This record gives sequence, structure tokens and C-alpha cells, in this order.
Amino acid sequence: MLKTLLYINEDLASSIALRFTGYLNKFIPLSLFVTHVEEPDEKEQVGTGWVRRTWEDGVASSGKRLIDRMLRTENIDCPLAGRPKVFVGDRDTEIMYELQNGVYDLFVTGYLDAADPEQFYDLISSPLCTNPSSPTLVVKNLSLSKKCALLCADSVDPEVLVKKSLEILGDSTFEMDIVFFKFMDSDKMKVLDLEEGGKHLTETMALLADAGKTVHNTTVLSGTPEQVGDFLKDYALVASTLPSRKSMRMYTLAYSLASVLLVHEKKQD
Amino acid sequence: MKILVALDVNTYSSKIVKDVARLAQNTLADLVFLGVQNGTDELDQTLLSTLMRYQQDIYSYFGRDELPYAEISSEKWSKTGKGDWSVSSKGMKEFTLRILAGTISKQVVQAATDMECDLVILGCSKEFGCEWDGEMNVPLRIAEDSPCSVLVIKQSRKSDQIVSILDQSVVNQDALEMVNQIVTINDAGLKIVGVKDKNEDKESEIEKRMVELLTYYNEREVHAWVKLINSENVKEYVTNASREAIVALWMGGKQSLIKRLFSKSMIDQLLETSKSSVFILR
Repeated sequence: MLKTLLYINEDLASSIALRFTGYLNKFIPLSLFVTHVEEPDEKEQVGTGWVRRTWEDGVASSGKRLIDRMLRTENIDCPLAGRPKVFVGDRDTEIMYELQNGVYDLFVTGYLDAADPEQFYDLISSPLCTNPSSPTLVVKNLSLSKKCALLCADSVDPEVLVKKSLEILGDSTFEMDIVFFKFMDSDKMKVLDLEEGGKHLTETMALLADAGKTVHNTTVLSGTPEQVGDFLKDYALVASTLPSRKSMRMYTLAYSLASVLLVHEKKQD
Repeated sequence: MKILVALDVNTYSSKIVKDVARLAQNTLADLVFLGVQNGTDELDQTLLSTLMRYQQDIYSYFGRDELPYAEISSEKWSKTGKGDWSVSSKGMKEFTLRILAGTISKQVVQAATDMECDLVILGCSKEFGCEWDGEMNVPLRIAEDSPCSVLVIKQSRKSDQIVSILDQSVVNQDALEMVNQIVTINDAGLKIVGVKDKNEDKESEIEKRMVELLTYYNEREVHAWVKLINSENVKEYVTNASREAIVALWMGGKQSLIKRLFSKSMIDQLLETSKSSVFILR
């Protein structure tokens, strides 16, 4: 079972993330923990010692009520492995601290798909995604598909992509496809021959075969990030290595309607 | 639900009959087929026989045991007022054929108001923007002035995506169901796009509406994706989306952000750029 930490707030993104996590559990058995961080304004923060602890307890209680409301409303089909974890403080710092201490296999957060890809870049370049102790699943939509895809490109290290993705998806019952992205500024997206994927694609296919994973479909696509992002809507999730800059692959992930699993080269100690 | 279908003798009207039949099958709606003629004295026989033919076409889409409408006799047409002729049948559901004299857009809007219709459907030619019998602004006027939702079918073709654009306005249950039916008929995916105003803090309200819609459609096993866009990008987004998808615009009340953003010229442009259908939801 994958030890998973899901961040929830009282918003649409969290509502979708909760439901998607329940759906994900059908394909990948999860040991699910939920967390929420109450971020009070500086003005609200009071006192020291006992006074502060009492104030923090009050704020945390309101966070617990929020989580209860969300869990009751969404009523997801995935039991929690422990009591919800509510923290008071800076959201990213508290979550990173919990991820490191709790030794989670996966961090899940909701993201309301926006037309502006810069917002997505802000999220994936934040410390929460760039320096986590576990891969991040950015839930963008409730795609009730039975397929997942590995997104390859010339800039992707096949070994990292396959090895790290299989740590999450290896035992899942999702059908797995490979989508190789090549950028081309054109009105219409094209499907190319597999040879066009070059050595990176060949290596990815070989690594998956070595791992005993069956690939159902391999597609080499040539088009814009918008076109390929739209193509990905038929997948429950798309796994990719974390883009380190505003590359065309980053924009493709930003435009993807499917949720994005970002895997990393190394686990942080 | 009561659907008013505005029809004439042109090809674009005959091509929407199949979509109307499927919608009627799925919703078991009362149907009104409305034609509009010029003179008030004599009933236009060509228009009358065309409406009768469309009515027969609709009936032919239903199986023998599932037809909710009773037969209509062409001899039972009666004049109910100056320039107003109609014939009705009442089975499990009501089917009315009506011909009015006057201007098409005014009469359609008036009839939709008087007969308390929930939806107006009309076709339009795709050659030059979106025209009705050589006039460019008929679909626009009907879409603008109707008291209820309006579906303009520019080209009856399958779209694999319905893009539903909404703001913070309260969403009407009938309109929700209509989108559901359009999705079902087209076997399409649904993209729910929320529009937020940069100057107003309405995010949570929009998100609340989007949660409602997502829940509604998920319960009906409709595959829906969500997206949030800024108001300054809405026109470009809608124009681009209309090239491939059926666009459904939720036009709420006076406070509606989309209503403020979409001037007449924008709806006109949308009707012009759309390659399939435009759905104005109220």
C-alpha cells in the first residue's frame, strides 16, 4: 500500500482531489492520510506559551471541522489510515515537514486547472514540488479513466521516468500507455511513426519491458502543448519527470486536462 | 419541458429534425413546431406541408410503442387569431404545429414567452456566418431576446466536446438537464469552464457553482473536466473553443458576469465562428 498524504482545503480543487483519490484507490491501494494547514493572518497571532497554545488549539479545531465537513460532503470510497493531521502555520513549510517526518510514498494536492500555464509553473516550481521527500500528484480533474500514460520527450531521462513512475504505478491496475511529445507549431497535431521517438522512446519501452510492465499503446505526437495537453484528457493521470524550467513539456503538463504525477530523480533524505 | 422549434423550408431547418427528435426522445418534451409567414390572410400551404413533414419525420424516430404524441390531422388546422394558425394533438405529451404571420425573430420570442417554453431550437445556414433565410441577425436576435434557453444548430454534426461556460449566476435545473442531454446525444465529454472577474472576489462562489455542476454530472456518469479562466480571457477562449466544440453559455440575471462580457457583437461573432452549435442557457 502506498502511504499517501492528501492536502485538503474547503475548495473545488480539494473536492476534486478527494474524489480522485477515492477513485485512484481502486487502482492503487492507498494508505491514505489527509492534512490541512490553517494559515492565520499575522494580526491574528497572539501571545506566547500557554496563551499561544490555547489560541493554536482553537485554530486547529476549526481546521478539523473543515476536514470533517469535506470528508462528510465528498464521502469518498477510501478509508483513512489515521486521524486527519491539522497544522497551524505556513502551508508549504508544514506540509514539507510532515512529508519528511511521515515518510510518505506520495503527496496529493488539488489544482484548479487555469487557462494561464504560469500558475501551474508556480505550483510545480514551489518548494513543495521541487524539494519534496515524495513524488507529487497534482489532481486537476476527475478523469474516470482506466488508463495512465508516461509522458516522454527528448528532455526526459527514461531511467528516472520509468523507475520512479513504477514506484507509484508499478503495481497498479491501470492500463499503461507511452506518449512521446515532440513540439511543432502547427494548426493540427500529428501522430508520427514510432521511430520518430528516437533512442529515448526505445529506451523507455525497453525499461518498461524489463520491469515486466505491459504497454498498451505507444504514441508519438507532434504538436503544440495545448494540442497534446488536450489529447491527454482521456487518461486518469499522466506521469512525467518534474520539468525544471518553462519548457514545452512543462506547458504540455500545464495544459493537460488529466492529473499530473511528477516524479523526481532522488528522494530527499 | 416544452421545446419550441423554429422552422422554415430551408435545408438548415430540415437538418435539425434528427437532433430535435433525439432530444424529445430523451426528455419526453412537449413540442411546438413554429413557422412564420409574411401575409396574414392566407395560410402558406408550402410552409404548412413542410411543418407536417417535419412532424412526420419526428414521429418516425420513435418506435411504435414509445411515441408520446398523438396523430395530427392536416384538416384540423384552425385560425385562432389574426395571422395565427395552429393544430395540436394531446397524447402522453402535446405536439403543436403553429404558423404565425410577421417577423420571424419577434414571433419566435413572443411565442416562446406566451407558451412558456423552456428551450428554443433553430438551425441556421453555415455558408455565411449564421443566417436565416438570407438574414444575418435572426439567430442573434432570438438568442438575445428569448426568455428561455436557446440552441442554435449551425451544422448538425457530432462534437466530441461540449464547453460549458459559467459565472457565479445561479444555475437552473432545466438548463443543467439540457446540457446533460446535449452531451448524451453527442456522446461527448463536458468541459465546465468557470469565469472569474479579476476585480471581484467571487472565486468561492464560482467554485461553489462548479462543485454543484460537477456533482450533478458525475452522478449522471457524465465525464466532466473543470477549468477556471479570467474574465479578460473569456472572449478569446470561447471563440477558440467554438471552432471545435459546442459552446454553452450560461447567461444569468442582471448580475451575470458573462452577460456583461458578452455584448451582442460577441454573441454574433460566436455564432459566426462556431462550426457546430451554440447554446445560450438561461
